[in-house]
Amino acid sequence: MEEPLDLIRLSIDERVYVKCRNDRELRGRLHAYDQHLNMVLSDVEETITTTEEDEETGEEIVSKKTRSVGMLFVRGDIIVLVSPPLRTS
Amino acid sequence: MSSALPDNTSKAPEKEAEAVPENKRSPSDFLKAVLGRPVNVRLNSGTDYRGVLACLDGYMNIAMEQTEEYVDGQLKSKYGDCFIRGNNVMYISSQRR
Amino acid sequence: MLFYSFFKTLVGKEVAVELKNDVILTGTLHSVDQYLNIKLLTVNVVNQDRYPQLTSLKNCFIRGSVVRYVQIDPKDVDTELLQDATRKENSPQVGGGALMEDKK
Repeated sequence: MEEPLDLIRLSIDERVYVKCRNDRELRGRLHAYDQHLNMVLSDVEETITTTEEDEETGEEIVSKKTRSVGMLFVRGDIIVLVSPPLRTS
Repeated sequence: MSSALPDNTSKAPEKEAEAVPENKRSPSDFLKAVLGRPVNVRLNSGTDYRGVLACLDGYMNIAMEQTEEYVDGQLKSKYGDCFIRGNNVMYISSQRR
Repeated sequence: MLFYSFFKTLVGKEVAVELKNDVILTGTLHSVDQYLNIKLLTVNVVNQDRYPQLTSLKNCFIRGSVVRYVQIDPKDVDTELLQDATRKENSPQVGGGALMEDKK
């Protein structure tokens, strides 16, 4: 592997995990990307994690919402991390 | 070229990145020296990624192996391979294991 | 250029554009440019009660940089074609004048 983007190129047509800004996570099949990391994913599951503070106890309440999208274009500038599926090589 | 410097021929060749004197090492000398080594990558969000630096490019996009994700110092998850988009990177530090 | 070409193939199709401020607009994709700015026709605002100021929105221009996601009908996408185009665009062989070198 010569450059980091090679890792993404090797993940075409594979399911990938994408960590985005604002505690959003995506899992889906990668069909396209460019040098900005704009992407098209299919069979996407998005998980949004929100933390609220309980007014009385001050405890942090973590809640996760998920939704499914058939085909999704993701703008690269919100992406923090991409992890390909575990490969046996 | 070393052939222009006869003195050099008697010495064992040193590793390129470490041949640069301490006070003249540039940021890219540092990056060359830590390639393939365990590093800690701190993002602007404060999240740390510890793993082996596989490669990086001019945008500071990073590919890492055997990566562990630490949020507030707590291990949150692990990735076999991972790609980090360069704009999120605050710093890369070398790490002893 | 890959996604510019991709969105051009979706002109006339129904899409849902989710902005970074959580507003979701559905509508017909009218046009796109190289910055992935988007023009939508016959816009509907999802969750309209949260954004009453957008009720009268009919057609609009969206600056590419404020887009978070674009949801597309899977039927409108040829994934094989998209993957081939992606491999071509990002292949180490293409670009950097490598193809020109071969011709000397």
